[in-house]
Amino acid sequence: MKFFSPSNKKHLPALIPILFFVLCGFVVTAMVAPGPQEDTIPAGTEVPAMDDFQEIDELPDDTVTTAMDTVTTAMDTVTTALEAVPVSEGPYTRTELRRGERLFKGLVPFASGMHDCSSCHYTSRTDTLNWNPSAYDMARLWSLDESYSIRQKLANPVGMRMVADHAEMTITPQEERELEAYFERLVETGPGELRAIPVNAFIFWGLGLLMALAVVDLLITRKVRARAFHVIIIIIGLVVHMQYAVAESRALGRTQGYEPDQPIKFSHLIHAGENEIDCNYCHTVANFSLSAGIPSNNTCLNCHNVIREGTNSGRFEINKIHQAEASGEAVRWIRIHKLPDHSYFSHAQHVNAGGVACQECHGAVEEMHLIRQTEDLSMGWCLTCHRDTGVDFLDNPYYKIFERLHEDIRAGRIDAVTAAQVGGEDCMKCHY
Amino acid sequence: MEKKYWKSIGEVRPSDSQQADHKEEAGQGPSSIDLLAQKTDTMPASRRDFLKWCGISFVSATVLSACENPVKKAIPYLNQPEELIPGKASWYASTYLNGNEYCPVLVKSRDGRPIKIEGNTLSSITEGGTSARVQASVLSLYDIGARYKTPLKNGEAISWEEADREIWSGLMRPGPDGKRKVLLTPTLLSPTTKALINEAMDRIAGLETVTWDAVSYAAIRQAHLVTSGMAVIPGYRFDAAELVVSFSADFLGSWLSPVEFSRAWAKNRKPGNENPMSRHIQFESHLSLTGANADERIPVKPSDEQKILMALYDEVASATGNPTLGAETVEYDVRALASDILQGRGKALVVCGHDHTDMQLLVNGINYMAGSYGATIDDSRSLNLGKGDEQAFEQLVKDMQDGNVEAILFYKTNPLYHSPDPEAFLQGLKNTPLSISFASMKDETALECTYVLPDHHYLESWNDAEFKAGYFSLAQPLIHPLLKTRQFQDSLLAWIGREEDFHAYLQDHWYRHIFPQQSFHQGFDSFWVEALQSGVHDNPHLGGIQLSWTGEGFTDAFNRLRSSAGAAGELEYCLFTNIALGDGSDANNPWLQELPDPVSSVTWDNFAAISPGQAETLGLHEGDMLRINDRMEVPVLIQPGQARGCISIALGYGRTHAGKSADKRGGNAFLLSRTDGRGRYFSGKVENWTKTGGGHLFARTQTHFSMEGRAIVRESTLDKHRENPAAGNELREYHLKHMTTLYPEVPHEGHHWALMVDLNACTGCSSCVIACQSENNTPVIGKDQVRRRRIMHWMRIDRYYTGDAENPGVVFQPLMCQHCDHAPCENVCPVAATTHSQEGINQMTYNRCVGTKYCINNCPYKVRRFNWYEYATREKFNTHTTTDLGRMVLNPDVTVRERGVVEKCSFCVQRIQDAKLKAKNERRLLRDGEIQTACMQACPSGALVFGDLNDKNSKVSKLIKDPRNYHLLEELHVLPSVGYLTKIRNPKA
Repeated sequence: MKFFSPSNKKHLPALIPILFFVLCGFVVTAMVAPGPQEDTIPAGTEVPAMDDFQEIDELPDDTVTTAMDTVTTAMDTVTTALEAVPVSEGPYTRTELRRGERLFKGLVPFASGMHDCSSCHYTSRTDTLNWNPSAYDMARLWSLDESYSIRQKLANPVGMRMVADHAEMTITPQEERELEAYFERLVETGPGELRAIPVNAFIFWGLGLLMALAVVDLLITRKVRARAFHVIIIIIGLVVHMQYAVAESRALGRTQGYEPDQPIKFSHLIHAGENEIDCNYCHTVANFSLSAGIPSNNTCLNCHNVIREGTNSGRFEINKIHQAEASGEAVRWIRIHKLPDHSYFSHAQHVNAGGVACQECHGAVEEMHLIRQTEDLSMGWCLTCHRDTGVDFLDNPYYKIFERLHEDIRAGRIDAVTAAQVGGEDCMKCHY
Repeated sequence: MEKKYWKSIGEVRPSDSQQADHKEEAGQGPSSIDLLAQKTDTMPASRRDFLKWCGISFVSATVLSACENPVKKAIPYLNQPEELIPGKASWYASTYLNGNEYCPVLVKSRDGRPIKIEGNTLSSITEGGTSARVQASVLSLYDIGARYKTPLKNGEAISWEEADREIWSGLMRPGPDGKRKVLLTPTLLSPTTKALINEAMDRIAGLETVTWDAVSYAAIRQAHLVTSGMAVIPGYRFDAAELVVSFSADFLGSWLSPVEFSRAWAKNRKPGNENPMSRHIQFESHLSLTGANADERIPVKPSDEQKILMALYDEVASATGNPTLGAETVEYDVRALASDILQGRGKALVVCGHDHTDMQLLVNGINYMAGSYGATIDDSRSLNLGKGDEQAFEQLVKDMQDGNVEAILFYKTNPLYHSPDPEAFLQGLKNTPLSISFASMKDETALECTYVLPDHHYLESWNDAEFKAGYFSLAQPLIHPLLKTRQFQDSLLAWIGREEDFHAYLQDHWYRHIFPQQSFHQGFDSFWVEALQSGVHDNPHLGGIQLSWTGEGFTDAFNRLRSSAGAAGELEYCLFTNIALGDGSDANNPWLQELPDPVSSVTWDNFAAISPGQAETLGLHEGDMLRINDRMEVPVLIQPGQARGCISIALGYGRTHAGKSADKRGGNAFLLSRTDGRGRYFSGKVENWTKTGGGHLFARTQTHFSMEGRAIVRESTLDKHRENPAAGNELREYHLKHMTTLYPEVPHEGHHWALMVDLNACTGCSSCVIACQSENNTPVIGKDQVRRRRIMHWMRIDRYYTGDAENPGVVFQPLMCQHCDHAPCENVCPVAATTHSQEGINQMTYNRCVGTKYCINNCPYKVRRFNWYEYATREKFNTHTTTDLGRMVLNPDVTVRERGVVEKCSFCVQRIQDAKLKAKNERRLLRDGEIQTACMQACPSGALVFGDLNDKNSKVSKLIKDPRNYHLLEELHVLPSVGYLTKIRNPKA
């Protein structure tokens, strides 16, 4: 069959819009694919190639290390003589790294038995909260602190959780070295990124492909006789694509649902929920400033000077506050709720004068371990609230100046005054 | 309205077609349309290119928008300072000190960085007023381009320790016999610094100080030494004077204490006040700010001024029975003036702005005979200005040239720019082995010094000041030093081996000398905290003086003046300091460079002002380059009101090594000043002049905003006003009677903001313009863009001339967005980017604006501005907000506008919102006067009043009912929220 018979050529222009949509598909996928927006830690995100380690293998003392390789490989099975074998010095070898990774992930047994470190200390990112320090967290700590010894930590566990979980776990110097090799790699590779399954993208592309096939069959191959079949596929496809386009462009620049990992696994559920600490205790300036204020390190220390250990995360996370204090470097939290620069939002206005509960905008914070942006913070969302929410009209003497509205209330024409009625819809309430 | 108002001389003198308006417009450079047409003609651009760019921009926009949202960090303090609230501003009292200038200020600090200067209302001297230069001073703090970043030796960075070691050995070693070690300073207002310098002189063998001012007031001191036995500058009380006669004293702009004088002068200029309205007569050669505000202004060249002064002295003397000294007769009716001065003893005040001892002597005589001392002149205390010694400076230059100076130290002085003979000084400097400059910003002298030990900016320093004897103020640092600088005083302390820093030294000085003089505070701590908090400490019991009249010196003065008088027809020059640059020490401030001179409306330049008639006689045209006395070159500007026979040039321009904004702007007029062994003169004879070229283009804002001869400014006289309070404002009644509208009335529920401008109190000093720029992040756009009429100021001072071009009347009119209730701009916006708020504000929403500029075209007041380029971030236009450090000056409460959007005055909505929120949170009504717009707060004369019209008791609602009130272009019935009070003058009937 001829692909382009003269009679078919007149249908060609019809292909153009279809191709356009397919092209758009590429673009939109880029928007859809990332899934939940995750923090991309700037430092050390590039994945180092194994070449780095090969280079090390080719160092002058190659022979020594290779010899050591054979010894240690042999030791895999002969565990009793381990203490006697001198631990190698210098850069970690490939073999040490390989063994370190296997030990950590529980693929080969330790001298003291089979322990799967990675079952508690996750080696990659997950979208569920794990209270234990991740492998990367520990590796980073190890890289920063010269005196950090994995063996020491295991031999002298601190805190109830750690004691309970690491009972009977001992490792040999050689195993420590192998784990260190793995830690070094982790520090270089970084914590990794959370790969979400781009369901939306599959649907988008699947439909795109189907539509393309339908067009090709309709115009050229003509395998399926029933034309309605093609038309239905194309119509459904276009509707879904348009729906995606609208939804995605609306969400542009908005981060509803954003729930990044924070540098400290701070749980609002435990602090604000279980322990019922008032929001204002930490966010001290919400009542009289634009910003609610991220609590400074010394605010944390008010309690955590005494409370050194948590139920969920043991001492590891709380220790980060003390590390910040010691190093003089403040904790770099990841900002979740952001408004564009041309919008002026005052916490004092809403919290103090307006009496709006924190949860109205931030969601049920006291039920969240990790903070998630529950609202889209769009202008429409702001205005809806301004139109629906009453102000403290009768009790706050400031509003006495609105004489006509007071009249209306006295006459029973209205029973409440919304923010919009006292100018809450004016552009220059927020944009100046 | 019978007076004809005009803005440029082309309008009234078509014969001067060279300078005519339309020509001037043409001279503003090719229009952008021409440029575009030219560009498209020469470029092979076509429809295809257009489509290509469309395609690229579409694709890139899509790709960019598809990117992930960036991860932003929220980094809290490690230990949050108790007094600091993130997102909330705090104010600290400090003191602006710059040579002769002094102003107690409040500095707004937001998240640890100073961003705005306000006047300190607790000061009994300035009462909260500021000047344009004070307002702009915050910008210099962040001037990373011009500030020295480290100590330098021969231009190379060295460490402070190294510098100290090297200098210490050179400085402490007793020099060879007869060799001097000199610290050159201007008049110092800080008592503690003076004490420290005295201590240093004791400890460092042979160190002496020479005081020398770039612009001096020493003649007033000298004259009082002769006539009254004490070398003092008394206080002038313009608020007590019913008649002010000024000989070239620009007391509203730059003379002695302009902020204080503006306030005092304005108190007597509001017809409604209980004080009777004063009459103000000004003799001067150039049209100064003060002259522009006078009831009667007599343009005379400096030598004629002397003659009039002598004649006036004789008249006053003969009328009071004192010996006359035989002055020649002058054209002006001095007899009438003398009788006015003497009418009601102690009601007149005569001041003279020339730093000329003989003239000041005669002024003292007139004031004495008129009984002004003790009445309009506060003779009980002295201003601590004008202590410079010109002769000592000349001797120093001579000694330096002869190699008799071992070491020279420069503190806040720049003789290579300010001295009349920089070549001689440079030669001397090269003969001096050790030269040290404490300059904070780049200057000509520091460039030639071996060592530069940069001082802090005043907002990084501790300091104190005693402007008027017994009236102290403190300066405290607002920010940790941004660069590796060290305060001058700390350098001295280090060299004399004192362990403490200047903060401790200052406290100690106050503890020992100022605290014991007062009795209110028992403990020093509470005294110090209060003084620091309020910024000022008045102790009127201190520093009183007792003048005893000697009556001497007048005959000698007459003789000298007679002998120095030039021939009648000679061309003279007169130099003056303008409100923007002063003596030029902070010429690198782009806000000040771009501030239009209120009278000439020139930006970024100085000029030789020549009267229209004189220009015709000399055959000079605007823009011609003039070389004067073979010393300096400056372009000609035809200035209405300039005295015939005199060329006036502003000082402060023509810097050569001050930084990007200042260098090569205009000519250095200090080169024309001359000395004669008795003092330094800023006027004299033009020995020769040559035209060296032409075609200099000024960046004037003059023809930008013409209002085409409608009744924009309204004027009347005091006599007419007494008969009919609405005199001069008759049109208002007509319009009120006839106005009708198709639009529905706009109800203003809640607040209805309004601003009243009293044309009588406005002096045109332009501090509001800079205050607005500072508050609202208005960009600087550079000379070229100003010439294209794109100046971004939200507030401008319009100036209208009336009458004869040789001696016109002048009216200043501050103009900002009028916030019309039926705003014409709102109807035409296709995207509803400009709308009306419930509170009567004409709102501009930048993020909605697409830049059609329809609103600009439809605005009858031409107050809207368009961002033609990325003014805020492009280095080409901007000189300060292109670096991280420079951006620190931006007000975080106001959006920095993008290219392609329209902007305009917002009535400082950020301040309105802030004050309303405060009232809501404190659960109370908003108080009248609680909201001050930036312009209102900066105004030294109280000409602007902002408030709520819905509050029937507010000041603004009372003023709007004043019969003098009118709105601009009432016939359009756009119902502006800004009202103007008719200007009332008080000329002699």
